[in-house]
Amino acid sequence: MRRKRQSGPIEAIDNGLFEIRLTSDERATLLGFVDQLVEVMLAPPSDPRLRRLFPTAYHDNPEFDSEYQTYMRDELAQSRATSIQTVREVLSSEDPLTESQLYAFMTVLNSLRLVLGTLLDVDEADDLDLIPEDSPAYGQAQLYEYLGWLLEWTVSALSGE
Amino acid sequence: MSQVAEPDLKENTDEVAEHDRPWIVLVWNDPINLMSYVSFVFQKLFGYSKEKADELMLDVHEKGRAVVSNGPREKAEIDVFRLHEHGLWATMQQDS
Repeated sequence: MRRKRQSGPIEAIDNGLFEIRLTSDERATLLGFVDQLVEVMLAPPSDPRLRRLFPTAYHDNPEFDSEYQTYMRDELAQSRATSIQTVREVLSSEDPLTESQLYAFMTVLNSLRLVLGTLLDVDEADDLDLIPEDSPAYGQAQLYEYLGWLLEWTVSALSGE
Repeated sequence: MSQVAEPDLKENTDEVAEHDRPWIVLVWNDPINLMSYVSFVFQKLFGYSKEKADELMLDVHEKGRAVVSNGPREKAEIDVFRLHEHGLWATMQQDS
């Protein structure tokens, strides 16, 4: 899935707008994974896939943390849902993106990487290229790398680089 | 000059000091988040320069964690929430 291109998949155009240059296949794949993210977010709080999406706030005070989670967890889920909705609209249209739409795209790409990275149990020393093609994790690892590639481009477009 | 005896405020001050002790917000290293992304989020959320944000990001990466902001508990909670919105592994604790 990783390709070299003359120009990147995300580029600033006129009037502070941005263009996402993805094929319809890529858009469909991403939309499919966004749907899966929505499903993951509906899982019970103890689901390990949610560990990185809803982290502990008070690492040394379980009482404060449970209080915090009581009133902030829903708000965090709501914020993610809003970004996901934006990304669905953006991927379903060929229109240029505003900066805030691209920002939402960036945070959703990152959420997808967090879920996949948790599933793949990525650690600093991991070399995902070593996963054999017949392994069930191979497709996930490919997607993980693809999302990283796209995220890098999104960050540089938003940084004005 | 006359001198007025100072009231003994010691006990109260200790309580106030405990309450006022600032909170610090930490970001912990994780193997998933991209370095460029983490630095960009620090710039966006805290208004840090690219240099400062890169420095903090490298601290997180190399030392395992870094203090990215501090202040009263309510402000620290907001910072933690915004970092969580961005998928960063942030926690808070009272400064020791």
